[in-house]
Amino acid sequence: MRKQRESRRDIGMPLILSILVVFFTLGTTVFTLSQRISAEMSSSAINNLSESLDLVKGTLEAILTKEAEFQKLIANEVAMLEQPEEFIRSYNRNRTMVKLSFIASGEETGISNTSDFFSEADLDFSAGKTVEGLPVSQSYLNSMGTWAYTMKCPVERNDDEIGVLYIEYIYDSFEESLPVGFYGGNALLYIMDAKSQRFVLKPRGMGERQAGHLNLEDFYRANNILEPDVQRAVEESVDMGKNFMFYHHIRNMDSLIFMWAVNEGAIYLIGYVPIEAIQQEGKAVNQNIYTVVLVMLAAFLICCILYYLNQRQRIKLRREREAEREIHSRQLAEALQAAQVASRSKTMFLSNMSHDIRTPMNAILGFTTLLAKDADNPAKVREYTAKITASGRHLLSLINDVLDVSKIESGKVVLTIGDFTLSDLVSSVDAIIRPMAKDRNQSFDVSVTDIKHEYLIGDETRINQILINLLSNAVKYTPEGGHIWFRIIGLPQRSSQFEHIRIEVEDNGYGMTPEYLETVFDAFTRAENSTTNKVQGTGLGMAITKNIVELMGGTIQVSSQIDKGSIFTVELELRIPDGQADRQFWRDSHIWRILAVDDDEEVCNSVQTLMKDTGVEVDTVQNGGDAVSRVREAADGENGYQMILLDWKMPGMDGVETAREIRKARPDIPILFLTAYDGSEVEEEARRLGNAGILAKPFFVSAFKEKIAAMGDGCIRESAPKTTESDSLKGLRFLVAEDNDINAEILSELLDIEGAVCEIVENGQIAVARFAETEPGTFDAILMDVQMPVMNGYEAARAIRASGRADGEQIPIIAMTANAFAEDVRDALEAGMNAHVAKPIDMKLLKEAMDQYRKKEG
Amino acid sequence: MKRAGRICLAALAALAIGGCGAKVEPDKNLIADHGGEKKVVNLFGPMEKSKPNVENAARNAFDRTIAIAEERFGLTVEYRTYTAEDYTEKTYDDVTLDRARNNMDDLYLLNPDTIQILGEEGRLLDLSGLDSAKNLRDVVKTGNTVNGKLVAIPQEVVAYGLFVNKDMFDQYGLQLPDTPGELMECCRVFQENGIDTPIGANRWWLENFVFAQAYADLYNGGNTKAEIDALNEGKAKYSDYMRPGFEYLQELMDRGYIDRETASTYEAIDGEGPDFLAQKTPIVMAYWGAANAETAYGKPDFEMQVIGFPSSRGQMPVMAMSGYGISADAEHLEETIQVLDTILSDEALELYTQVNKVISPSKNVEGDCIPALKPLNDRIQENVYVLGSNASMKMEQWGNTCIVVRKLLGGATVDECMAELDRLQKESLKSN
Repeated sequence: MRKQRESRRDIGMPLILSILVVFFTLGTTVFTLSQRISAEMSSSAINNLSESLDLVKGTLEAILTKEAEFQKLIANEVAMLEQPEEFIRSYNRNRTMVKLSFIASGEETGISNTSDFFSEADLDFSAGKTVEGLPVSQSYLNSMGTWAYTMKCPVERNDDEIGVLYIEYIYDSFEESLPVGFYGGNALLYIMDAKSQRFVLKPRGMGERQAGHLNLEDFYRANNILEPDVQRAVEESVDMGKNFMFYHHIRNMDSLIFMWAVNEGAIYLIGYVPIEAIQQEGKAVNQNIYTVVLVMLAAFLICCILYYLNQRQRIKLRREREAEREIHSRQLAEALQAAQVASRSKTMFLSNMSHDIRTPMNAILGFTTLLAKDADNPAKVREYTAKITASGRHLLSLINDVLDVSKIESGKVVLTIGDFTLSDLVSSVDAIIRPMAKDRNQSFDVSVTDIKHEYLIGDETRINQILINLLSNAVKYTPEGGHIWFRIIGLPQRSSQFEHIRIEVEDNGYGMTPEYLETVFDAFTRAENSTTNKVQGTGLGMAITKNIVELMGGTIQVSSQIDKGSIFTVELELRIPDGQADRQFWRDSHIWRILAVDDDEEVCNSVQTLMKDTGVEVDTVQNGGDAVSRVREAADGENGYQMILLDWKMPGMDGVETAREIRKARPDIPILFLTAYDGSEVEEEARRLGNAGILAKPFFVSAFKEKIAAMGDGCIRESAPKTTESDSLKGLRFLVAEDNDINAEILSELLDIEGAVCEIVENGQIAVARFAETEPGTFDAILMDVQMPVMNGYEAARAIRASGRADGEQIPIIAMTANAFAEDVRDALEAGMNAHVAKPIDMKLLKEAMDQYRKKEG
Repeated sequence: MKRAGRICLAALAALAIGGCGAKVEPDKNLIADHGGEKKVVNLFGPMEKSKPNVENAARNAFDRTIAIAEERFGLTVEYRTYTAEDYTEKTYDDVTLDRARNNMDDLYLLNPDTIQILGEEGRLLDLSGLDSAKNLRDVVKTGNTVNGKLVAIPQEVVAYGLFVNKDMFDQYGLQLPDTPGELMECCRVFQENGIDTPIGANRWWLENFVFAQAYADLYNGGNTKAEIDALNEGKAKYSDYMRPGFEYLQELMDRGYIDRETASTYEAIDGEGPDFLAQKTPIVMAYWGAANAETAYGKPDFEMQVIGFPSSRGQMPVMAMSGYGISADAEHLEETIQVLDTILSDEALELYTQVNKVISPSKNVEGDCIPALKPLNDRIQENVYVLGSNASMKMEQWGNTCIVVRKLLGGATVDECMAELDRLQKESLKSN
């Protein structure tokens, strides 16, 4: 991260610095340039203003000159007249000359065109200003109510002055000759009489519209020009008839104030122009420059941003490539490591396998040696053969596991989906694990809770394999006297078509280290330490288990603490078969109401849940006393109980006592004791009680149904204890197809031991032929090897089934093969065989297969 | 991000291309054509002196109504102004008369006396045909009708009153005066407390004291027409009506409550205004609009109240009609009529009244009244007031009385002033 930041800073800082430098340089340049332009434009504007004022001044002076020249002409004209007064009186005013007056020489007063009386006394020529040599009076407000001035011109006849001609001009006449507006109407211009400092004309469009200025003093006041120095300088300039121009702030704007002398300072052009108006062009140029610079800077900035983004993108790509390379390298390293680990694991596995195979092999060979030596000692022979058998079985399990892993890894495992009941599953697992646990003095608790459906669809064999793997490991890795819990818990269904179950296998055994936990599901690994290294195993069980669980779409998790134990959690979703509830069975059995008695509320709930779809009403109580009360109450009513499920061990009044009390109220009511313990004691008590039996915990409907079916007439008949050894093969005659002589011999001997006889043939074809040529009933069953030369077992089985003989379709054909996988079983059944018994031959399994067949037949 | 970059580059390219797009057509006349001859109306009015950095709101309202007319008719109203530099120069009214008689302008803003003079001389156009004239209040029509012609119309009905510094009255425990005696007493108290000249006056508006006392009964006694007829026929004398007012002014001057010298030289507001605003003078006189105008008394630092002039009938507003008149021989007659009709329309008067908060001459326009003007407005709403100008009186009131008051200021006795009034009345009877 820091590297990234540094890298970003590597690009960012120089970039920002360079941007700043460019901005600073450009800014300084532009500022300097604009300042220079402003100064130049300002100077130019002042010149321009001066020129404009000069032009106005020139215009006014030209008017005055023309007026003076015209007055001289009139004077000359008047001089030639005998009666100048007549001419004067007859004059009609025009827009410029509004009054003509004449005073004859030597007279104080004279006449004018508007009056018979005219005196110079009303006029002030003291300022001494002239136009073309003609004296000009100070401005005054004339009889028309407008500002005017008068020029006087001597009237000379023959070089003698006969009088003076006075002509009054009005300032309004200047208007026509002046430009309309000044600096776009932003400037103000007045004409001021220099002597009186009175503003005598506000030319059209050049003064304030809504107000005005009376005189110079008012101009100062209105525009806040109050600095005495400025006023004094202006005064001096006006006195001297000079132009004056200065800057001042007027109405919140910097302005240029001007006083421009006309006619040698007789009158003044006075006003101000806001600098903004003067420098409009300069401002526009500056604005354009700023715009260009801004656009350039924006472009530069965009380029910088694009460059920066591009760089960032490149860096990002580079980083990604580096990261990719790093990941790749890491993956390679990991792969290498994994390969090394795998190699090590395989080496270790081979080493383990070598050890594990050699160990039983060593026992087998060793004991065979000892067997040969002690052949005459039957006791020794039995001992050795028992040990050889055990070693052989272990060797077989090793081979099975290795083959299983091989198949799983090659993806050849196929699930055999079929109906099964949780009851069978649990009882079969219980049957295997409980003795193992008992051998090690471990307690083994089985509980099933919240299961809604016990009839399910799935690969029972593989689920069984999972459970056996987990539970046998629990037994193996739990010291003697430990506890093992096996729980099946119903979870909320995600779909109504699937039962969502959680299987928990918990122990309080050795536990696993966190490091080992990470690899517990890897193949070729097994926990080994000083405590467990006596435990034998292939190190493949958990890998197989995980793969099977995942193949079923489930999950497996484990948590463990060293010396505290482990818990494996498997979650599976198993399809629920249609027609789950068999309500008819319960109606036929006349059972519609039962009472479940167990101090464990979960058991009661479980019974209720599982019986929900059967139509049977299940009442539950948690102690014997309540149970007795309930039975008595129900007995009095019409709707009494047809069956009592009674927990064997309860606090207070136990199951037996409760049963006795119940019998007092209902002597004939069937009672099933629910027990998780060894059944012998319970069975004995049940027999004593009469019409009672036992039902193993956990409760399953299927097991319950079996019990009820077994009752038949309403009385429970406890089946006689199973004989551990069966002589069901005795007297049977087998046709055996086996290409291997040793196997054939062993089988022959084993069957002989069992009291059965066999006829061995080398391959399937001979077997078919032999069956064909014998009389029906010659053989009771055919034991068929699968892999044989000429004709394999499948073909042979098909041929026999297709032989057309009646017994060809019925004779049991049992596959006896080293092909021991589920697919092999399926293939065998598909080929028409009745059962599959894997090699090496286990006579017990063969007997079971035969029994099963005979049961079906019988 | 790339897309944004492309858009930016495209925008820059477009700018660059746009920048190169300017093209000069060689055959195009570069001089802008401003059309035909410009239509102009020349307006003559008094010059409002501008103050640094202060907007003249009252004048601005007038300009806005002018702008409506300019825009509507595509013409320009050219302003020509005049204000006397001091009392030695010709007055605005003098100049107005000169200009009107020489037909210098088209439209004039006229004071009551010039309205009457020029009306009598027939130099003003009869405005009764204007659309805007139909909405006028009767008092406006009465005040501006000369020889049966409506010769001028104002944009506001001007009411004069006493502007008093209420804080100073309160300071000395004084009630606002209703009668001449009460005002005299107030002045005495002020003077005793070091305020040498309690009343600030100018050479224009002292006559309001005279009108208030002279005509309080004439205009509010229920016999107005008969009394005016008697005056017009010479059966009654103006001097008899005005004598109490003149004597009152004389006493105010004699006691020093009004400074004779400054009162005869000060221009309106410019002269006495600064001392009033500086709270050196507790009483001045002015027109309604001065209370709203920042350039006058619009922003005092104290509580200002505007009351009527003292009279026997209590505080008495004096109404005078300045108005706009059109030269009968106006060079731009048609345009001038259009302008005047527009600036006097209800739309324009609404704007004017709202901005300046004055009494509108139109019956259809009602304006707001600022708190300071409430006492004056209350009296006007009660229809209690006197007219400072009345064209139905043969003798012009506003200008003549002003001149005679100036004589009093100049040292003439009350009797001499009354004699002058009698002479003026006689002249007016003669000329009619």
